[in-house]
Amino acid sequence: MGTYITKRLLLIVPTLIGAAALVFVIMRVIPGDVALLIFGGDQAGQIDPKQLADMRHRLGLDQPLIVQFGTWLWGVLRFDFGNSLWTGRPVIEELLIRLPLSLELAIAATIVSVLIAIPLGMLAAIRQDTWVDYLVRVVSIGGLAIPSFWVGILCILMLVIFFGWGPPLEFTPPWIDPWANFQMMIWPVVTVGYRYAAVTTRMTRSTLLEVLREDYIRTAWAKGLRERAVVIRHALKNSMLPVITLVGTEFAFLIGGLVVTETVFTLNGVGRFVVDAVAHRDYPVVQALIFLIAFGFVVVNLLVDLTYAWFDPRIRYR
Amino acid sequence: MAAVTRRYHALFIVLALAVVAASVVTAVHAADTPRRGGILLAVIGADPPSLDPHQESTFATMQLVAPLYSTLIQIDPYSYPKIIGDVASEWKISPDALTYTFKIRPGIKFHDGSPLTAADVKATYDKLIFPPKETRSVRKGAYLAVASIDAPDASTVVFKLKHPSASLLENFASPWNVIYPKKYLDKDPNYFMKNVVGSGPFKFKSYTPGASFEGERNPDYFVKDRPYLNGYKFFISTETSVRAAAVRSGRAYIEFRDLPSAEVDAIKKQLGDKVVVQHTPMTGQFGIAINNTVKPFTDERVRKALTLGLDRYTGGRVLFGLTGLKDVGGLLRPGTEFAMPEADLQKLPGFGKDMEKNRAEAKKLLAEAGYPHGFKVVLKNRNVKLPYQDFAVFAIQEWRKIGIEAEHRPLETAAWFADGRDSGNFELIIAPTVEASDDPDVFLRRYTTGDTQNWGRFTDPVVDDLFSRQSRALDPAERRKVILQLQKTVLEHAYYMPGLWWSRNVVHWAKVKNYVAPPNHYANQKLQDVWLSED
Repeated sequence: MGTYITKRLLLIVPTLIGAAALVFVIMRVIPGDVALLIFGGDQAGQIDPKQLADMRHRLGLDQPLIVQFGTWLWGVLRFDFGNSLWTGRPVIEELLIRLPLSLELAIAATIVSVLIAIPLGMLAAIRQDTWVDYLVRVVSIGGLAIPSFWVGILCILMLVIFFGWGPPLEFTPPWIDPWANFQMMIWPVVTVGYRYAAVTTRMTRSTLLEVLREDYIRTAWAKGLRERAVVIRHALKNSMLPVITLVGTEFAFLIGGLVVTETVFTLNGVGRFVVDAVAHRDYPVVQALIFLIAFGFVVVNLLVDLTYAWFDPRIRYR
Repeated sequence: MAAVTRRYHALFIVLALAVVAASVVTAVHAADTPRRGGILLAVIGADPPSLDPHQESTFATMQLVAPLYSTLIQIDPYSYPKIIGDVASEWKISPDALTYTFKIRPGIKFHDGSPLTAADVKATYDKLIFPPKETRSVRKGAYLAVASIDAPDASTVVFKLKHPSASLLENFASPWNVIYPKKYLDKDPNYFMKNVVGSGPFKFKSYTPGASFEGERNPDYFVKDRPYLNGYKFFISTETSVRAAAVRSGRAYIEFRDLPSAEVDAIKKQLGDKVVVQHTPMTGQFGIAINNTVKPFTDERVRKALTLGLDRYTGGRVLFGLTGLKDVGGLLRPGTEFAMPEADLQKLPGFGKDMEKNRAEAKKLLAEAGYPHGFKVVLKNRNVKLPYQDFAVFAIQEWRKIGIEAEHRPLETAAWFADGRDSGNFELIIAPTVEASDDPDVFLRRYTTGDTQNWGRFTDPVVDDLFSRQSRALDPAERRKVILQLQKTVLEHAYYMPGLWWSRNVVHWAKVKNYVAPPNHYANQKLQDVWLSED
């Protein structure tokens, strides 16, 4: 087990460097740079080519690519992700403003999705092809088919039109004002939670159906065990491996992938930050965020793999 | 007994009427009397790249920090484009128009407690007009006439010019030219990209990037009894429908830039008299730059055909509700001092109202130029829906009627600049013009040879000469004549295709008092006279 974890931890290094190098190259291939954008706002003022060159020099964009990448990587090794080219502020400072919100949203949405998905998935599987199953399938397909941003906008509009009330526009951490935090976060959490519950419900239903057809389940029924014991003790635990993988991957995605939901609910989260940084060609920010998100994915995947052993004691890591 | 009762009744009615009348008068008076206190809550559609208006050109910077600063002179908040003083109490222009002398009000303090003197004004304008290498000045082109700046004493600033400049005073009143304390500029000319030390009606309170920006009342503000508000707070949201919902729910009281008419109608329908909509024209126009250096657009007949094929008048009707694009005009905002009169404009290609005739003429010109069946072309654009893409879609379907098939290619902002405007890698490209005033120098410089805003890359010595002449013409009548000639030349040769002039809807709760929306979203953002009738 120890060797396995060490190997996995060591693999993180080339994975992250690979991801960083890929993002570095992609960002330089697409047209435009931050200097141009700094000069060309909506008023698009007069751009002096000399000033543009000076700006590129000041931002270090005129250095050879290998030097730029090396400098950035050397900074990362010292936990210094550099400064945003767009705002001039340290990337870590910018990230820390947004991370608590994104973490709260990801954790809460994951909890909501699991709380909805596992019971519904179970119910649909054990009542297969009954009206209960059909209803669960309709609800979950609805969650998959309807984009979250649309649900979000509808949610806001209904609150505003019918109750003349809208969610707060600014994030308040739960430890400062839990009620204000609840008022703001409940809507995106439900919106995102529903979307991911739909995916997880379907996965739970199909894996549980598969397990319920196994011989050992038939044996359990034959022994005269009660439905609850058969489903929860024998079937559910064994059907959870793919579901855990899915929930883990979704959680990692939720930290940086909720751009549209964040925009709709004016949430100043990591997802919006990544997209804005790409649009601004803010290389240090994009590189740092992709690096950190990749790190998050790798760690969550490792944790998911390690939980397999608990769910299925036959699994042994070497 | 009955008579006495009637008398009492009459007396009671008279008294009641008197009380009602008195309370109505008091109420009206109270409504007009500014109330102190309250925080103005606003929504804004973008996060600023930096906090330094000298280096930025986006409303996101301007609207957030304008209440924190003063300028030398300013546009009158109640009477655009009249110019009034701000830190300058008076100014004098020499008879030869080569020396501008400004007197600075005494007793003005920056928010750090230091006095604002002529030295600070000089340092500010030195940074703007002669920027140090490590910084940039987006608008320094507006001050090319300035040769030197002096501060002979603490309350006098003198600008010496190389040649007369008709637009200089208007440019001094630009809201972007906020006054900074010299001591911080001396240490770091980029200090104000991340910090705020102004002398405006409000002091900086907090800024959370991507989320909110807050200012609080400056008790030492140099204008007596101002500001009325205790503070202001902007919430940042890039989604238009979310900003509209924020106003609708009362989470925000105002959106200063613009909301689409459909959102405005919905807000008005739900909230009725609780909200006020100020609809103003805009010092901004959406047009199409034609790359004059690539075929077939090197041929004037083809350029003319393009402009003849665009039905601007229908466009104004169709696009107004969706985008705010409304008025047909030339190179300067219709109805302003130097704009082309409608009758003259209609004689120019593409501005006549008979579209059948225009299209027939366009087809004839295309045939003469060797394109009897039209041609295919790519129209590059910014991938922003309002109003960029709606305008482009309208233009494309108009050109189809004269046989020109345009492919719409929306690009990210960075690519729109890098792979279009700046590299000249385009045939046609959507090219908006949005400025802080109607000043002809600012609007017309882009039609001169080599100007960085000359997206179409055309050269016409006649236009260059006319621009230079108008810029130095101090007699407004003479200047107008030259400006009209310049506009006529550009439009006759179809070097550039003006589309439609923008307008904007400023929606706010009726409790927000004393805010007059000017014709752009940069001016009148200091909020010193704005007050809230209730919290």
